[in-house]
Amino acid sequence: MVREEVAGSTQTLQWKCVESRVDSKRLYYGRFILSPLRKGQADTVGIALRRALLGEIEGTCIARAKFGSVPHEYSTIAGIEESVQEILLNLKEIVLRSNLYGVRDASICVKGPRYITAQDIILPPSVEIVDTSQPIANLTEPIDFCIELQIKRDRGYQTELRKNYQDGSYPIDAVSMPVRNVNYSIFSCGNGNEKHEILFLEIWTNGSLTPKEALYEASRNLIDLFLPFLHAEEEGTSFEENKNRFTPPLFTFQKRLTNLNLKKNKKGIPLNCIFIDQLELPSRTYNCLKRANIHTLLDLLSKTEEDLMRIDSFHMEDGKQIWDTLEKYLPIDLLKNKLSF
Amino acid sequence: MLRNGNEGMSTIPGFSQIQFEGFCRFINQALAEELNKFPAIKDPDHEIAFQLFAKGYQLLEPSIKERDAVYESLTYSSELYVSARLIFGFDVQKQTISIGNIPIMNSLGTFIINGIYRIVINQILLSPGIYYRSELDHKGISIYTGTIISDWGGRSELAIDKKERIWARVSRKQKISILVLSSAMGSNLREILDNVSYPEIFLSFPNAKEKKRIESKEKAILEFYQQFACVGGDLVFSESLCEELQKKFFQQKCELGRIGRRNMNRRLNLDIPQNNTFLLPRDVLAATDHLIGMKFGTGILDDDDMNHLKNKRIRSVADLLQDQFGLALGRLQHAVQKTIRRVFIRQSKPTPQTLVTPTSTSILLITTYETFFGTYPLSQVFDQTNPLTQTVHGRKVSCLGPGGLTGRTSSFRSRDIHPSHYGRICPIDTSEGINVGLTGSLAIHARINHLWGSIESPFYEISAEKAKKKKSRQVVYLSPNRDEYYMIAAGNSLSLNQGIQEEQVVPARYRQEFLTIAWEQIHVRSIFPFQYFSIGGSLIPFIEHNDANRALMSSNMQRQAVPLSRSEKCIVGTGLERQTALDSGVSVIAEREGKILSTDSHKILLSSSGKTLSIPLVNHRRSNKNNCMHQKSRVPRGKSIKKGQILAEGAATVGGELALGKNVLVAYMPWEGYNFEDAVLISERLVYEDIYTSFHIRKYEIQTDTTSQGSAEKITKEIPHLEAHLLRNLDRNGVVRLGSWVETSDILVGKLTPQIASESSYIAEAGLLRAIFGLEVSTSKETSLKLPIGGRGRVIDVKWIQRDPLDIMVRVYILQKREIKVGDKVAGRHGNKGIISKILPRQDMPYLQDGTPVDMVFNPLGVPSRMNVGQIFESSLGLAGDLLKKHYRIAPFDERYEQEASRKLVFSELYEASKETKNPWVFEPEYPGKSRIFDGRTGDPFEQPVLIGKSYILKLIHQVDEKIHGRSTGPYSLVTQQPVRGRAKQGGQRVGEMEVWALEGFGVAHILQEILTYKSDHLIARQEILNATIWGKRIPNHEDPPESFRVLVRELRSLALELNHFLVSEKNFQVTREEV
Repeated sequence: MVREEVAGSTQTLQWKCVESRVDSKRLYYGRFILSPLRKGQADTVGIALRRALLGEIEGTCIARAKFGSVPHEYSTIAGIEESVQEILLNLKEIVLRSNLYGVRDASICVKGPRYITAQDIILPPSVEIVDTSQPIANLTEPIDFCIELQIKRDRGYQTELRKNYQDGSYPIDAVSMPVRNVNYSIFSCGNGNEKHEILFLEIWTNGSLTPKEALYEASRNLIDLFLPFLHAEEEGTSFEENKNRFTPPLFTFQKRLTNLNLKKNKKGIPLNCIFIDQLELPSRTYNCLKRANIHTLLDLLSKTEEDLMRIDSFHMEDGKQIWDTLEKYLPIDLLKNKLSF
Repeated sequence: MLRNGNEGMSTIPGFSQIQFEGFCRFINQALAEELNKFPAIKDPDHEIAFQLFAKGYQLLEPSIKERDAVYESLTYSSELYVSARLIFGFDVQKQTISIGNIPIMNSLGTFIINGIYRIVINQILLSPGIYYRSELDHKGISIYTGTIISDWGGRSELAIDKKERIWARVSRKQKISILVLSSAMGSNLREILDNVSYPEIFLSFPNAKEKKRIESKEKAILEFYQQFACVGGDLVFSESLCEELQKKFFQQKCELGRIGRRNMNRRLNLDIPQNNTFLLPRDVLAATDHLIGMKFGTGILDDDDMNHLKNKRIRSVADLLQDQFGLALGRLQHAVQKTIRRVFIRQSKPTPQTLVTPTSTSILLITTYETFFGTYPLSQVFDQTNPLTQTVHGRKVSCLGPGGLTGRTSSFRSRDIHPSHYGRICPIDTSEGINVGLTGSLAIHARINHLWGSIESPFYEISAEKAKKKKSRQVVYLSPNRDEYYMIAAGNSLSLNQGIQEEQVVPARYRQEFLTIAWEQIHVRSIFPFQYFSIGGSLIPFIEHNDANRALMSSNMQRQAVPLSRSEKCIVGTGLERQTALDSGVSVIAEREGKILSTDSHKILLSSSGKTLSIPLVNHRRSNKNNCMHQKSRVPRGKSIKKGQILAEGAATVGGELALGKNVLVAYMPWEGYNFEDAVLISERLVYEDIYTSFHIRKYEIQTDTTSQGSAEKITKEIPHLEAHLLRNLDRNGVVRLGSWVETSDILVGKLTPQIASESSYIAEAGLLRAIFGLEVSTSKETSLKLPIGGRGRVIDVKWIQRDPLDIMVRVYILQKREIKVGDKVAGRHGNKGIISKILPRQDMPYLQDGTPVDMVFNPLGVPSRMNVGQIFESSLGLAGDLLKKHYRIAPFDERYEQEASRKLVFSELYEASKETKNPWVFEPEYPGKSRIFDGRTGDPFEQPVLIGKSYILKLIHQVDEKIHGRSTGPYSLVTQQPVRGRAKQGGQRVGEMEVWALEGFGVAHILQEILTYKSDHLIARQEILNATIWGKRIPNHEDPPESFRVLVRELRSLALELNHFLVSEKNFQVTREEV
């Protein structure tokens, strides 16, 4: 019956850009409609798209800056009106457009006296500046001024915790949120039984991508999120694991190990149900592992030997100890696959 | 010099003037007054005389710059030169000599003492004089007393008892007859009887024996002394006895001073000349007369109101510094006398300068002042949280301090608002808590009359004939005692129908009452609606819609706002922001006109009339409150500027206006309980856009000492037994590298304290190592400076201060950038404060009809019970202003123009904004000010329309980073053995009686047992618990009492009460005593 109705509404779902304007270089506006939708669908699509647009769009921004010889980011440079801190804040505001992956380098190298704007940034080929007039600093004296920049494409924002970079570069708490604002509204039209809804979607972006592109990207991201459901349910491993994950261990460890040994062939071993507490490791080794956030056997097995050695105060003997313990309890083939001691 | 001539114009006086005027008075008058008192020091044996002259003293420009004084921890002072004369035999020498240094006030109205900004706040004290009081005793009989208060605060009371005898209470315990007192002061009975109006009462009570006592002055003094000092037996009159009485009684209780003399004359209708600053027998007799008059109904019944401002006086910086200067001169006098004596032993020829230069003498002045600034309760560390705080701190008036009241004992009446406070002391701005009402803030127009120590308030004079004569109105400053005789129109409704003023009746104040008086009878009227408020109060828009208690909180909380990394002007303000920012001194203002040559991040070069001035800027410097002070230049290069123009702006000012917070979009609605009980929900935008980001600079310092064995401590990088990770930031001297990022427990300065290696002091392993391998264990203890818990940031400055080779001080300045986070305190300007409870992503926040997510969500239940409706007006008007790109400056009490004026204004502006921006949702007539908004998580509209708006929200200095604290183990206090208090000391959290009840109520006996014993003060259990946990044994259960209980038992014993328990055997009734 449902099928029939859909077939009955002959129109297919269509979208259209109703309005599009550039208010300034850093403020783009677009208005779209999607119709015809059945009752309630507009809301579903609308809120999903709004949330995806606000939260899921990637943007490019300057992530770090390195100055020549500056003791720290709160110092000042002779001949520049701004302090380093203010320059960093100005760099944070700069909007870039790119489609790169990973990290790229850029730089500014100018000779004063002059105003430095975003135009002076020497960019890698795939990146461009949206608003070249954005101010960076004001050189008041004839000095050479160089900044090395790192450009990154990211989503959301990061306040970097590990600031201990010895190379003298300073992180910019960059914000990669190209979409400034999104709004949607729903209009019902038609009469009687043939009521349908029109979804209006308004998007404001910061210029690094047009509203249309943003809409495209958001939809793609949304689809990506739903894609797993379209694939056939995977048999075996994950499901079994999940089933075991939430049942409390009913039998003792020894028993389970024998169980494991019996079911040697079976792939799904609830490794993440075995906590390292149960391995009866010496307390030193145990503490080491705990500190490195290794709580279950799965965690342990997912680490390589090098990973383990990198843990603070983890010694060769500890590795040996773990190896011995595991050997005692676990099927060898599994170990061979997973652990490369 | 400070007050410009245009008295007729009602400009707001400079906010820091209160302090400057005080200091100017000290420099210009008080110094001369004290120097005049300096006696000529004569030594008749050697025909030597030393004298200082008050005329022509000079102060040198300070030898160091202000900022250097702060950085080097020195005192900002200038040298005082006085002309002196030395007569030595026939040789007369005249010389201008330096007698020491005097701390100098800087442009902020503060002093710099040992590198710390300090300020002296004005004290408000009861004026010297006489005050009459009548009260009913427990039997319902009226008792009349007159209290004489001296200039030093000493009190003596006159009272009539039931037998109609008149007593003077001279000390807490002793009272003496009035006849003895006046005789001791030098009048005989005849004179007494001649000078009083009721001699029969005086004559009625002395009997023959008493009459004998007062027949001569000596006898009266003897009698007085006997009673005053409570000594019995036969005393003989002597000069020394007279002197002692002089010192103990007359100087302390009878010196009235200039003000006291005037008050006495005024109260008792006397005409004793002004220069008679001591209490005279005539005063006592007149006072007694008045008392008798009161008692027997012939006089007028007029109680004095001790809380009236006319009976109070201000003791300003000038008076305090003057007292100290007098004290120092007294010491100087002794020192010079001593030196003169020594000079003759050595037979050298003295000059005036050599008499005052021995090392102890030359620093006499500065040490006196440094002790004064360091210890006097009214000299406080300058509060530098934000520009407002700086301005307000100097304008505080305090009833506390020496000679004043105390927080714990003062009555409600002395804390209350008094009608005489109008226009002088702000009725709302006072501290909360124990000192409520005792520390106040001066109203913005008030000024201090330094001559009489009274606070004056300006009014327009509009007496009928004057108004006819000339149109211009005269401003008069009225002191509290004149105030009462005028009819003062309270300022409201004056603007109404200006043409027909004559027909109007206006509300007015007259003799502490509010009346409605015809316009022509009015003498003066108030000049400004904000006249009654302090600066803090007058920065609150729509203050008239707020409950006074909330306005009080607001004026206090605005002073706690932290300057943010990028400030923003308020959309809705009161118009006083500009002057507050200007007078605070955080901005750089051009002292003369000229042209900007160049601007830089640390200086501005200004060319003015052919000269080049370099104006230094403050760069990331620490304030007293650990804030970051930073100035940014605001003038482009090559621009011509005028005198008084702003060259650079400091923290929390924008465009010369005070900018303490940010305008954020707020909604008043509940949200999943996250704003229950004053919690606040905020959007992530405030975090990542650095809207509420502030900088804080902390100073950490360490000093090397010499140990008791005489070996010096050493600053070094080589610190044994420490992880290399902790030492990674040290340079080769062992001090942290500039620009390195440090985290909690990193070493900032490596320091080793040498220890005498004795066999017993070795730790166990060390002894073993030595025994086995013969290894030499280090002979020093590590006493490095570590970054305490919660500290992290960038090292922005390292300073070595070396006063002598062994005594090195290292200071490390660490700058920390703090974004807003859960647990921080935020507040509006209406006393609406809250704690951040959750930070939501912007897509989850409720959003408006145009899609804008809200920034903050407040609880609507926080409004009705607190009665601070001003926040609603502010937020709605703020929204209109934000949409219309307008800023509003609103004077309070606009309701005098028409009813509901504020509401009308807000709604009309909202309507305007709605029309202008074509956003119908901004103003909806069914629910004006409210709007339907949507849930960001579901997209559903909320059930009810919600009030939205732009409010000016401040981030306060109470931040979690400085409060969060936990303790596993730590120090215990010595006596009770309970964990110590406070975060700074790694203290524990008190489990008080209510917490104990809670645990009892839950029935968690073991947890309670654990908290009361081995987590607290049970010594043995505490030690055993460690072993028990290591070996996995059962935790022992002790039956003996914990340490604090034993303390209690011992305290009882010291009161001769024994608390013990006995065990009585069931078998043979043998009693065994158990020691507690």
